[in-house]
This record gives sequence, C-alpha cells and structure tokens, in this order.
Amino acid sequence: MRSLNFGDFLFLIEAARWTILLSVSAFVGGGVIGAIIALLRVSKRKPLRYFAIGYIQLFQGTPLLLQLFLVFFGSDMMGLALGPWVAATLGLSLNAGAFLGEIWRGAIQAVPRAQGEAAEALGLHYLPIMRHIVVPQALRIGVAPTVGFLVNLVKATSLASIIGFIELTRAGQQLNNVTFRPFTIYMTVALLYFLLCWPLTIASRKLERRMAFAYRR
Amino acid sequence: MKLLKHLMAGLLLLGFAGHAKAQTTDEIISRGTINIGILTDLPPYGFLDENQKPAGFDVEVAEMLGKFMGVKVNLVPLTSPNRIPFLVTGKVDLLVATFGITPERAKTVTFSIPYSAIENSVFARKDSGISKLEDLKGKRVGVPRGSVQDVLLTNALGSTAKVQRFDDDASTYQALITGQVDAIAETGLTGRQLFAKTPEANLEERFILLRQPNGITMRKDQFNLRQWVDTFVYYIKVDGELAATWTKWFKTDFPVLPVF
Repeated sequence: MRSLNFGDFLFLIEAARWTILLSVSAFVGGGVIGAIIALLRVSKRKPLRYFAIGYIQLFQGTPLLLQLFLVFFGSDMMGLALGPWVAATLGLSLNAGAFLGEIWRGAIQAVPRAQGEAAEALGLHYLPIMRHIVVPQALRIGVAPTVGFLVNLVKATSLASIIGFIELTRAGQQLNNVTFRPFTIYMTVALLYFLLCWPLTIASRKLERRMAFAYRR
Repeated sequence: MKLLKHLMAGLLLLGFAGHAKAQTTDEIISRGTINIGILTDLPPYGFLDENQKPAGFDVEVAEMLGKFMGVKVNLVPLTSPNRIPFLVTGKVDLLVATFGITPERAKTVTFSIPYSAIENSVFARKDSGISKLEDLKGKRVGVPRGSVQDVLLTNALGSTAKVQRFDDDASTYQALITGQVDAIAETGLTGRQLFAKTPEANLEERFILLRQPNGITMRKDQFNLRQWVDTFVYYIKVDGELAATWTKWFKTDFPVLPVF
C-alpha cells in the first residue's frame, strides 16, 4: 500500500492516450467494415443481403467482451498470435462495423427511393448512382448518429482490459489496488472519459443542427 | 512528431513484436527474452510503485529468474482472471503471479516447488461475531473472482452462504467497507494494513482461512522448463537470496515451505 502521488495522475492521462488511439483505429477499421456491410445490406442480391444481416445479428447479439476474448485468445489457437493492440483493434472494428453498417443502412434507405430509380431511368449504373446521388445525401443523414455511436465506442474501449490492454480504466484499477483510493481514482478516470466524449457530443449536436438547416426551405 | 514516433514504437511493441510460443529452456535462451506474467494489483507481491512501474516480491523473483537464465525479462501485467488464458495460449512463458498450488489447477497447468506463500483471512465488522467458517452461513461473503478463497468458500459453504465475486482485491475490500457484503476473504497482510489505517470502519481480521503456498506456473507440457525452474527455486532458497527478498517486502522471516 502507498499513497497517491502526482505521477499517478500523469499515468492516467498517459493511459488515456491509448484509449484515444484505440478509439480512432477502431473507428477507422469499423468505418471500412461498416461501409461494406451497409452496401451489402441494401444490395439487390439476396445472398449479399443475408450475409450482411447475419454479420450484423452476430456482432450485435453477442457481448463485445466475448468478441475481444475470442479474437485475442482464439488467434493463438489458430497459430496467429495477435498482440493485445492488434486484437483489440480488430475486435472493436468488427463490432463497430456491425453497428455502423446498420446506422448507415438506415441513412441510405432514408434517401427517397425514387431518386435512385430516376437515376437508373437516366441510364446510370450502380456505382455512379451510389457515388453521386445516394451516398452524399445519406452521409448528411448519417453523420449525427455516427458521432453518437463514436461516444459509445470510446467508452467500449475499456473492455479491452480483459485482454491485458492497459488503457484508462485498467490503469485506474491498477492504481486503486495499491492505493485503495477508489473515489479519487475513478472520479479522475470518469472525468477523463467525459473530457473525451463531451466534445463529440457537442459536435454531434452541432452537426445535427446544421443538417436540419440544410433541409429547411 | 516525437510523440508520433513514440506511438509507432509502442504499436510495434504491442502488436507486432510477436510472441513465438517457447516451450523449453533452450528455446527461451535462444530467443533471448522470457515473457513472464505478473500481477500488478496485489501489493506487496506485485503492484505499481511510486513511478507507476511494476514492483514487489513476485517482480523481483521474476527478474532473478531472468538473471539466472541469462535472458531479458519482459514483464506482462495480468489480472487473476486472465492469467490462465495468457499462459495456456502461450502469450507468456510462465507466471510468477502468487498462484496457489491446488490439484484442481494442476489439471490445467503445472507448478514449480513453492517459492512464496500467502495468507487468506476472513475480515468482518468487529461486532459481527464471525470467528469460524460455519459462522459465514447465511451471510453475504465477498471474494475476488477465481481466487483460491473463492473456490474454497464455494465448496465449503455451497448454497448456505451468498458468495459474491468481485473483479479485483480493491473492489472486494470496498464492498466490505460500504457494507454490500457482511464479510470478505482476502489477503491477510493487505487487509490488516488497510483496516489498521481506517479504524472508523470498525473492521478487523476475524480468522485465518488458509495459508497457501504458491508456485511458479507453467503449461502442462513444459516439463523441461519446469525442471529448470525447480532447480532455480531450490537454488535461491538454499543461498538465501529468496529469503532476503521476502524479508525486504514483508518485514517477516521467510516462511517454511513444503516441497513436492
């Protein structure tokens, strides 16, 4: 047992760096997967659509904690031996992909169908229709819920501690176990999470307002 | 830019350094590094010191082990629930993690001869009247999940007591202090220190539950490595280095440990 010192708080801030880095990489990875899943989900081909539905159901219907556990320890069973960093990024990306895919599917489907049909009637193919007509409008609709999800993703990174990844929450746990000052430590941890998430929430609200503005006539 | 460089170095270390599974002493020596799983939330066995670096009795034993093997030690901080998965999947070569030797656990892993011991006690309010195992019947008892005391109490009390499991030691203590449980089974040394410092909590050690010898832990098929580790433990016991380290951290004489 020892008392808390100033270095302990710096240690927490340093650990927050891993939380940020993990959130960003999971968002990038999840974004790529989510975009693919969203496109498959609205595809005209049944097998592609069913694949996307299956993917979304699988990752939304099982706990993230178990997904991380399976990616990290399961990779060794297959002789891949992923480190905690890669496993956490991969696990969170796969999970975020399912949620983002579903959010963006909604955004794509919110674009009036007649527009796509009109474009088709003008002789445009799938890619140009998506690129020039559907996606630009869907992006605007999807931005606010996407940022909202990002807030959840930041908090979900704390689950990576199960696979030995030392991020903000785990760092707080380690300090608590030697100083027995749970309130001071976890309040600081909570404050750091808040400082990460609050700007996102504000940004989300601003974007939402701007989007509503764009649709005002 | 400098930050970026550090981040990249960190990424490489964490993700891609790779941890080829080493089975034997020779494999570890030719790799030049040994990955040792330790705890960082069980002072004074393993914890973060004033500079937030791993320190404690287990950490020193781990470093001694590396010194005698002639390899660099890579300490991997683990928790009691995830130390077995890390070991059996080969993410660490062995554990120096205050792991109690039981026949149940020996079905999954293999132990060296004991290198340390830990005392587990039951703590409760001074006026609780709890003084033996039977007194815990009908009570809410807190334990760290997956610990030896968890298994022991669950087997001994069955459904007659409500055993509540917490993620780590600090949360278990906290549950007793805030009254979410009536008693806890915890590390004797830490608990005595903690409750001596907080007399207003009106809590104390009620009885000693068990004294548990710990072994350095390896995978079941690492016979070759175990032979070396046993020799190492025997040697530092005989030459007094282990006892000196023990006294440094615990301020008591090194306990007499049984061997097998």
